[in-house]
Amino acid sequence: MSITFEKVSHIYSDGTPYRFVALSDVDLDIIEGQMTAIVGQTGSGKSTLVQHLNGLLLPASGKINVLDHVIEAGSHPKGLKSLRGKVGLVFQFPEYQLFEETVLKDIAFGPKNFGFTEKEAIEKARHAMKLVSLGKEFEEKSPLELSGGQKRRVAIAGILAMDPQVLVLDEPTAGLDPQGTIQMMELFRELNQKHHKTVLIVTHDMEQVFNYCDRVIVMAKGSVHTHTTCEEFFRDSSLCNSLAILPPALIRMKDALKEKGFTIKDEMEDIHELSKEIAREVKHG
Amino acid sequence: MNAIEVKDLCFAYDKEDVVKKVSFSVPKGTYCTVVGHNGSGKSTIAKLIAGLLEKRSGSIIIDGIELNDQTICKLRNKIGIVFQNPDNQFIGSTVRDDIAFGLENHNVPQPEMDPIIEEFSKRVGMSEFLNNEPTRLSGGQKQRVAIAGVLAMHPDILIFDEATSMLDPQGKDEIKKVIMNLHKEKELTILSITHDIDEVSKSDYVIALNQGQIVLQGKPEELFQNEEKLKEIQLDVPFTFKLTKELKKLGVSINNHLTIEGMVNELCQLRSKK
Amino acid sequence: MGNFTLGRYIPLDSPIHRMDPRAKIMAMLFVLIAIFFPAGWIGYGIIFVAVSIVILLGKLSFTYILKSMKPMMFMMFFLLIMNCLVLKTGEPLFTIYSFTVYSDAVFQTLYIVVRLLLMIMITTCLTATTKPLDMTLGIEDLLKPFTKIGVPAHEIAMLISIALRFIPDLIDETTRIIKAQESRGVDLKEGKMKERIMAILSLIVPLFVSAFQRAEDLANAMEARGYAPGEERTRYKVLKMEMRDWILLFCAFLLLVGMIVLSRFK
Repeated sequence: MSITFEKVSHIYSDGTPYRFVALSDVDLDIIEGQMTAIVGQTGSGKSTLVQHLNGLLLPASGKINVLDHVIEAGSHPKGLKSLRGKVGLVFQFPEYQLFEETVLKDIAFGPKNFGFTEKEAIEKARHAMKLVSLGKEFEEKSPLELSGGQKRRVAIAGILAMDPQVLVLDEPTAGLDPQGTIQMMELFRELNQKHHKTVLIVTHDMEQVFNYCDRVIVMAKGSVHTHTTCEEFFRDSSLCNSLAILPPALIRMKDALKEKGFTIKDEMEDIHELSKEIAREVKHG
Repeated sequence: MNAIEVKDLCFAYDKEDVVKKVSFSVPKGTYCTVVGHNGSGKSTIAKLIAGLLEKRSGSIIIDGIELNDQTICKLRNKIGIVFQNPDNQFIGSTVRDDIAFGLENHNVPQPEMDPIIEEFSKRVGMSEFLNNEPTRLSGGQKQRVAIAGVLAMHPDILIFDEATSMLDPQGKDEIKKVIMNLHKEKELTILSITHDIDEVSKSDYVIALNQGQIVLQGKPEELFQNEEKLKEIQLDVPFTFKLTKELKKLGVSINNHLTIEGMVNELCQLRSKK
Repeated sequence: MGNFTLGRYIPLDSPIHRMDPRAKIMAMLFVLIAIFFPAGWIGYGIIFVAVSIVILLGKLSFTYILKSMKPMMFMMFFLLIMNCLVLKTGEPLFTIYSFTVYSDAVFQTLYIVVRLLLMIMITTCLTATTKPLDMTLGIEDLLKPFTKIGVPAHEIAMLISIALRFIPDLIDETTRIIKAQESRGVDLKEGKMKERIMAILSLIVPLFVSAFQRAEDLANAMEARGYAPGEERTRYKVLKMEMRDWILLFCAFLLLVGMIVLSRFK
C-alpha cells in the first residue's frame, strides 16, 4: 500500500481556447507515515495534484495508485467514495464549508455520509473534536459564532471524523495569525507522529516545511521539479534560490555567515545548534 | 503634527467592548504597523479610523479635525484603505474601470481620468494590465490595483488592513515593495495592520494590541526586546532577536539587529577581535 | 457551462463590436418588433439578409448561432407534432397510418421556426458583440429619461454590472464548495431523499454565508472609495453616437417601417 503517480497528466478545459495543462507526466512516490510538504509557485499544479489523491479530479492520462485504489485514465474508477473516506482532503479556507446548526452535527456529517449510524457518527465526531483540542463546550455552539481559527479546527475535525489514513491539507494556515499557525502545525505533527497518519501539506511557508516536514515535493509548471528529504533540500540556500523560494531564516543566517568565512556544519536542526556553532566560532576563531 | 490621533477609543459590536480605551498618535509621514493576533481588535480600529464603523466613545482626530457625522465625508477623502481580500474589493470589470471607480465618485471630470489612471497604474507597476479582467490577474496584482485605485484619490493617510495576508510569497513581496516605495516618498502617512514580522521590522513605529487594548508600542527594535510581554500576548519575534538571545545564554554579547545582514556584520567584527 | 453559447460575449474586434451599445440596443428592438408584423416570406427574407450582413460584419460565425439554437430543438419538434395533430387545412401532403399531414401544419411550424431563428440571430448580434459592462451603460443611458418617473437608472446599471463582475467568482466558489463537500462523502447524484436534501443544504448554506461576506466586504470597499448611492458622480466611460451608429439606427428603423408597409399591402 502506497501512493504512486505514473505519468499523470491533467488538462483543464480541453478542446476549448482556454485549454490549460495543469499537470504533465507526473511521476511520484509518496512515502506513507511521513509528513510531506508540497511547495511551488501559484499555478504550478499543487492544488490540481492533491485533488487527484481522492478522485475529485481524474487524470487525462497516466495511472494513480492510492492505498488499494487504482485510478487509470480513460476507465471509470470504482469505489471513489470509499477512497474519499480513506484520503481526507482539507481545502483552503475550509471554514467556508461549515453549514450545520451545531459544531458536533457538522463534524458528524462526514461519517454519516459514509454510512455510519447517527450514534456512531456522533461518537466519531466527539473523538475528532478531542484530536483538534476543541472542548466539550463547543459541541452545541453554532459554527458561525466561532473565531476564524476555531472554525478551521471544526472543519479539519469534520475530515478527521472520517478517520482517514491520509490527511491532505491545501494551505491549512493561510490567513491565520502566527500563534494560530503554530498550533495548527503542532496538531498536524501530533496526527502524524501519535496517530500515524500520512500527512501532505501544500504550503508556501518554508519555516513550516523546515520545522515540521520530513520530505519536500517541489512543483514547477505542472511537473515535479524536486522530490527529496527536508535535510537535503535545506542543506544550503542554493536549491531554494534557484527556485525563487525564500529559504528559512536559519538557513539564510547560516549561509551568510559561511560566506564571511565562518566554519559551520551544514546539517542544522534548530536555533540552538546554530547558536552553539556561532558561539564556538566567535570565541575561538 | 499628527496625522492620526486616537484618544480613549471604545467600540462594541454588541455588549462587550472589542476596543477598550485605545489611545495613540501617528505623526505625519510615518509608517506605523499594528500587530496582535486575530480578534485583538486591530482591524476594527482600522475601520473606525476609515469611518466605516461608528465608535462608542472616545475620539479620532485626523489632521486636526475630529471625525464625526459632519466631518466624515470630508475626512473620508483624506483616508484610503486597502482591505484583506483581493477579490472582494475589485469593483470594476477591468483594471482601468476599477481605478476609475473612485474617480467617478469624486466627480473627477471624464477627460482628466485617463492620465490619472495611467499615472497611478504605473506607480504600482500595473500599467501593462490596464485592460485585464480580474480573473486574469494574480492576488498580488489585484492588491496593487486596489492600491492604485486608492492612491488616485490623493489620500493623506493610507491604511492597509492585512492587505498581504491572503497572498502568496510573491504577492506579499510585491505589496511590501510598493508600501516601502510609498514610504520613501514621505508624502503619505501609512498605517498597516499586519502579521508579517518582516514588515513590522521595516516600519517606523509599532503598536501591539491584545484583547482590544494596547500592550506595547514603540520602535520595532525597542518593542522586540520586550520579550516577556510579547510572549504573554503570543506575538512572534524576528529570527535575529531569537538568535541573539540564544547567543547571550552562551556568553556571546551582541546587540539586537533587525536584519540578518546587520547581525552577520557584528558577528564578523566580534570574531576578528579574537 | 461549456455548451451554453446563447447570450455570451465574444471578444473580437469588428465594426459592430465598436458600435455604441445604445444604437445596438435600439436597433435590436426595432428589428424585433418588425418580426412581429406578418410581412410574409419576402419580409422575412429581407430581414434575414439584413441580419446576415450584420453577422458577417461582426465576424460571427453562423455555426455559432446555430449552436445556440440547440437547446430549442426539442421545443420546435414538439411544436411540429402539435401543429400536425391540430391543423387540418391546406393541401394534404402525405398519410401515415391513416393520419394525414396537411401543408398548413408544416408551413405554420416553419413560420414560427423562422421567426425564432431570426430572433435568436438578432439578439446574438447584440449580446455577442457588446461587452456586458457596455450593455449596462447603454441600458442606464436609455433608462435615463425614466428617472423622472422614479426609475433608478443608475442603481439598476450598478447592480447589473456588479452582478456580472462577480459571476465568475461565484462559479469558482461553487465548484470549490462542491469539491469540499464531496471530500466529506457528499454524493450529489445518488442517495435517498433525506440525504439529497442534506447534500443540497451543505452547498447552499456555505454559498450564502460566503456571498454575504463578499457583499459586506464589497460594501466597505465601495464606501471607503467614496461611493454614495444617489449622489452625483461623473462617468469614466462616455458613450458617443457616431455616424455609423446613426446609420445602423436608421436602417433598423427603415426595416421596421418596411415590414409594417409590407404587412398592410400583402
